[in-house]
Amino acid sequence: MKKKIWQFFREQEGVKPFIGFISIFLLCIIFSPVSSKGNLIFLKFDNLANILRQVSEIGIISVGMTLVILTGGIDLSVGSVLALTATITAFGLMDWQLGFTVTILSGLLAGSLAGFINGILTSWGKIQSFIVTLAMMTAARGFALFISGMNSRNIGFGENAAPESFKIFTTSFFNIPFPVFIFIFITIVFMFVLRKMRLGRYIYAVGSNQEAARLAGLRVNLIRTLAFVFCGFLSGLAGIIHAAQLFQGNPNDGVGFELDAIAAVVIGGTSLQGGRGTMGSTFMGVLIIGLLSNILGLHGIQKDFQLMLKGAIIVAAVLLQERNWKFAFLKK
Amino acid sequence: MLEFYHISKSFSGVEVLHQVTFSIEQGKIIALVGENGAGKSTLMKILAGIYPDYEGRIVFEGQEIHPHTPREAQRLGIAIIHQELNLIPDLTVAENIFLGKEPVQSFGIINFSQLYHDADKVLQEFKFPYSSRLKVRHLTVGWRQMVEIARTFQVKACLIIMDEPTSALSEQEIPILFEKMLYLKSQGKTIIFISHRLREAYTIADEIVVLRDGNFIGKYAKTDISREQLISLMIGHHIPSERTIHYQPIREKETLAVKNLTVLEKNGLALKGLHFTLHEGEILGIAGLLGSGRTELLKFLYGELKAQFSGEIIYLQQHFSPHSANDSIRKRMVYLSEDRQGEGIFPHHHLQFNGTISYLNKLSVVGFIKESNEKALITSWYDELQIKRRTIKQPILTLSGGNQQKVLLARILLIQPSLLLLDEPTRGIDVGAKEEIYQLIAKLSQQGVTIIMSSSEIPELLRTTHWILVLSNGEQMALLETQHTNSQEILKYAFSRV
Repeated sequence: MKKKIWQFFREQEGVKPFIGFISIFLLCIIFSPVSSKGNLIFLKFDNLANILRQVSEIGIISVGMTLVILTGGIDLSVGSVLALTATITAFGLMDWQLGFTVTILSGLLAGSLAGFINGILTSWGKIQSFIVTLAMMTAARGFALFISGMNSRNIGFGENAAPESFKIFTTSFFNIPFPVFIFIFITIVFMFVLRKMRLGRYIYAVGSNQEAARLAGLRVNLIRTLAFVFCGFLSGLAGIIHAAQLFQGNPNDGVGFELDAIAAVVIGGTSLQGGRGTMGSTFMGVLIIGLLSNILGLHGIQKDFQLMLKGAIIVAAVLLQERNWKFAFLKK
Repeated sequence: MLEFYHISKSFSGVEVLHQVTFSIEQGKIIALVGENGAGKSTLMKILAGIYPDYEGRIVFEGQEIHPHTPREAQRLGIAIIHQELNLIPDLTVAENIFLGKEPVQSFGIINFSQLYHDADKVLQEFKFPYSSRLKVRHLTVGWRQMVEIARTFQVKACLIIMDEPTSALSEQEIPILFEKMLYLKSQGKTIIFISHRLREAYTIADEIVVLRDGNFIGKYAKTDISREQLISLMIGHHIPSERTIHYQPIREKETLAVKNLTVLEKNGLALKGLHFTLHEGEILGIAGLLGSGRTELLKFLYGELKAQFSGEIIYLQQHFSPHSANDSIRKRMVYLSEDRQGEGIFPHHHLQFNGTISYLNKLSVVGFIKESNEKALITSWYDELQIKRRTIKQPILTLSGGNQQKVLLARILLIQPSLLLLDEPTRGIDVGAKEEIYQLIAKLSQQGVTIIMSSSEIPELLRTTHWILVLSNGEQMALLETQHTNSQEILKYAFSRV
């Protein structure tokens, strides 16, 4: 019986990151600072909601990154694409007066287009995705700077400015900020795509064994490209949320977001070789990063130390995922 | 000069060499011939120190030796030139020849003028037409082989082993290699070369050593033995394995007709003169040596070989031009790769995932997979093929090779194919599973599925097929009716262009 339970756990992906998340959550409770009233600050509803809000942008990008990494690629351009769409959003609302819907659509379109170019060049152009997206990372940032004339654009509301409807991104429902809902919705949608839809199977197949996928009749290039388009689209969505939260579109934002997103995917246990990993584990990876930044922040630990710790966590997470550690004491 | 006494070698309990005993004299060129799996390479790897773990004695130049590493064998004067060349393409010819033995000045700086001077001197002996400053990348395979030989000169080898040296060479390059081999011989070196091309053995060798199934069969001066005798020695007198009574299909509806097909692949071998017609339920076997174009033919028909072709293909009464795997599957033509690990399974995923991947478009509605239908369907197929499993969610890598192969068969049979292209369907699986696959093939044939099956095992073709097409160097040599042929005849054709 026990053997069966172990076998079940080993065959279920996403269990390890979930255990990791739970243990870090418990650690956070233990080390939480205590308020004057004797409550744990960490466990306060506002604090927990805040963690989710802080990770929602990286979280949405990580969903796209997971898709690309599952096909065996990588997307380094997500941070620049986020800056580009944030800039387009700000200028669309303020200068071009496109209105709410058209602005958002053009932001999403710009992101998808960047992803599409990445996908085409990787699949049919047969260039490594690392190189293609490195180029896109540079070019998209350049384009954002070109649109904005090198300056950031503030978003104001009122006549000849942004419509009130744009405030939805900063509104809270049930005391939970709107971007959190978007993040969770997106995660669930793509979890569903990977688990229940044909496209999900195909994405796994391409990453697991490209030759076999082609011989099994899959259109490998198309599937690759779709993964990049989704990743670009989601980076665009994150860019819109980014602009809304800061009330500005800054072409210099989003630097290093690609690395945070890759870190979240890797901490979740998705293999950079492709073919293995789940959306749920990426979600856990995102939350783990969020929890750590939060607890360190609550203790007033500065950015320098936070970064060093993050580096250590990434290595530790991968070590725990990759090796099949034998927890002898647990088996008894 | 070199004597083997009772050499035996086992790999994980299976003996592949049995008490091999023979000797070789200095200054001769010896061809070592035998079928695939006869033990040629194993024996030579023992001599070169790659397999130090063997039984028996080797006496080399009067002394008993037991090389433990390739380096040790090299010090003794035994050099091996592998099938895959071990040159570094971005270094110059001279740098490759003296790799690890470069002349150095003080502070470990390489004395390049000396290096190139020495290299040119060595290469002169080989009538090497280029400067030794040329990068190896720019040389043809033939000349690269020469560089490799020049390198063995540097280690002062007196016994040179060449493992299939001609397999990568073009027709024009082979005589140049032979010239160099004769030059080495005139210098008093001994050469053992492994080949399964008999013509070459007759051209260049002084003596021919035959191995079969890990046994030493004999050593013959080439004048003493005819080609036919040699072939029968190589294959032995197998008792043809029992032939099952074939279901004889009614030759009614044509499935595939290939007329005067010639395929020119960009780099590599060309398929020539293919001409055959298959009806519903017929099984065509493709025989041929390694590299004769068996896989290429199947992959071409499946649309995986992007190549120009002339001639006509008619598939299901329509003109057919191979386009892509996706297209072929839609037209109910499916392919099972010979490379199960590399081109077949999805190693990270479970049996259900692996089984239905090609059939998902039929199992889903607007992109959503109807999983209950999927499970029921794949379970019934796995039951029918008797795949030993715990659950369909079990990772495929936990299955044996034979069961993995059956999963892949289920994957392509789900399509309800009209034409099955099976490339070595029984490679690397145990006897029991082989038998089940033969029976499956027979059953499919009765159901009217047309099958083309390539195999390197002739007895297997003799017992499963209706027709056997023999390829030799890419060319169709014969289309034989299985009932009226035997392995000698097939081999005669298979060897005819090599």
